Amino acid sequence: MIQRVSYALRETIASFRRNMTLSAAAVITSAVSLLLVGTTFLIQRAFDNLLVQWRGDVGMIVFVRPDASADALAFIKQNLESQPNVIDVKKLTYLDKAQSFEEAKRVFAGDPTTLSLLSVETIPSQFKVVPKTTDPTLVRSLADQYRTLPGVTGVSLAEDEFDVISTLSSFVRTVTIGMSLVLLAVAVILIWNTIRTAIFARRREIEVMKLVGATDWFIRIPFIMEGLIQGLAGALVSCGGLWALNRAWTSGVAGFKAGTGVSSLVVPGSYVSGVMVALLIIGAVAGGVGSGVASSKFLDV
Amino acid sequence: MAILIRLWKGSSVGVAHNRSKPHKAFVGALRGLALIAKLCFFMIRLENVSKMYGSDMPAVRDATFDVAKGDFVFLVGPSGSGKSTLLRLMNRQERPERGNVWVAGRNINEMASSQIPYLRRTMGNVFQDYKLLPNKTVFENVAFALEVIGKPKHIIGQQVPQVLDLVGLSGKEDRFPHQLSGGEQQRVSIARAFVNRPLILLADEPTGNLDPATGEGIMALLDAINRTGTTIVMATHDHRVVNAMRRRVIQLDRGVIVRDQERGVYE
Repeated sequence: MIQRVSYALRETIASFRRNMTLSAAAVITSAVSLLLVGTTFLIQRAFDNLLVQWRGDVGMIVFVRPDASADALAFIKQNLESQPNVIDVKKLTYLDKAQSFEEAKRVFAGDPTTLSLLSVETIPSQFKVVPKTTDPTLVRSLADQYRTLPGVTGVSLAEDEFDVISTLSSFVRTVTIGMSLVLLAVAVILIWNTIRTAIFARRREIEVMKLVGATDWFIRIPFIMEGLIQGLAGALVSCGGLWALNRAWTSGVAGFKAGTGVSSLVVPGSYVSGVMVALLIIGAVAGGVGSGVASSKFLDV
Repeated sequence: MAILIRLWKGSSVGVAHNRSKPHKAFVGALRGLALIAKLCFFMIRLENVSKMYGSDMPAVRDATFDVAKGDFVFLVGPSGSGKSTLLRLMNRQERPERGNVWVAGRNINEMASSQIPYLRRTMGNVFQDYKLLPNKTVFENVAFALEVIGKPKHIIGQQVPQVLDLVGLSGKEDRFPHQLSGGEQQRVSIARAFVNRPLILLADEPTGNLDPATGEGIMALLDAINRTGTTIVMATHDHRVVNAMRRRVIQLDRGVIVRDQERGVYE
């Protein structure tokens, strides 16, 4: 058994050396494509941070002063519920101070200064309003009306903050997913081709192996390992790239003025490591599939 | 043996009961005997084997013959008469369109492809062009055959020098194929085929690239291997070796067996 493993390893390394340029091409292509896949994940998450306040068709947020009395709160609620034609009353939700603070942690992930100024005591609570109407002027006039209510510190409208980002987000998502899928396919094809070349280079050896009674798997495994390692090496490089990219982005965002909303585009480190694990798995699978298909197709002596 | 006794007992029981039964039992016993004889005696058996390449011209047509254990058989005939195809049918590099090929008592056409490597471990192959690996030494070329079937290192270290001594290449273990003469390269290839002590050795024109004197040396070596009990089937169109050896000759003409003769000559 140990002998077989050492044989497979030796063959894999030897084949790598023989095929240096093609292997390098396969590794670099898979690295670039996986980097793009990873970036897509991060961009996705960044936009999600920005939009987390507005999730679920929320069109308007009414912020309530943290020191507002229970009566004031009830009055605001009553006012909101008195407009069942404009507001979807069933979907009206109230986030108390604790819940609002949890949400703020995500929104201000990249802006620790602002976050440190907030606390559960000082944060405004909020009513999330889902409008029934699609007429923006109607919602806007309603917002103006609520601003004057006692206890209300401000009203935000989705269309002011959200429309550009949302459009941008879906555009960027489509483009990056499309590009990374194409590049991933290219990487698989390149690995497939590298393995085909490696098999062709060793066809005499393979012929002899078959005639003396080596099993198909014994012949196949070094090739599959080669493809798997190529995919994995590409994934490792892409993880390095992703880490550098995220670091540069985080420090870049810190330079922006607080309160511009850009700060919420920062992605937490734990999420980045999750994406890296996913990239390693995708890389290994892509390499294994490419080389597995090639080796079962071309080893038929 | 146990089967025979049971068959014989079966027939005696039949006598006691019924007059028509002993006959049937007797036929059954004969059939059993024939099967056992076949399994014990024949190393290779072809039954009405036909192989086509393309649609019009059959490479082998309706070939039937047995090769006994320890036999030495020449397949002779002009190029394209089907000699190599017959050899390729015996190690299942090819499968026939019709008929059955039996090797060591097993029908290899019905064998699962996962079993083929184990079939091939019971046979050695020698070719006209040697098929040595140019980047491996003599020792490594022979060791390769054991290595890829998972034999442990100490067995390899023991068996390879033994077989190299047998083929007369002791002292040349570290040479590369291009540093050897044609005859020596063929000896390496025979060593590789024989190192696993196969039951059968299939040789396709092993003297085809060699001068007569060197060819004689190779034939002497194959003869020695045959005397260890290894069955040898050799395709050739070299009259000199066939006429000198006087072994069984099967002659082919356009895929059809036209002669099967004990102690034959080439003609």
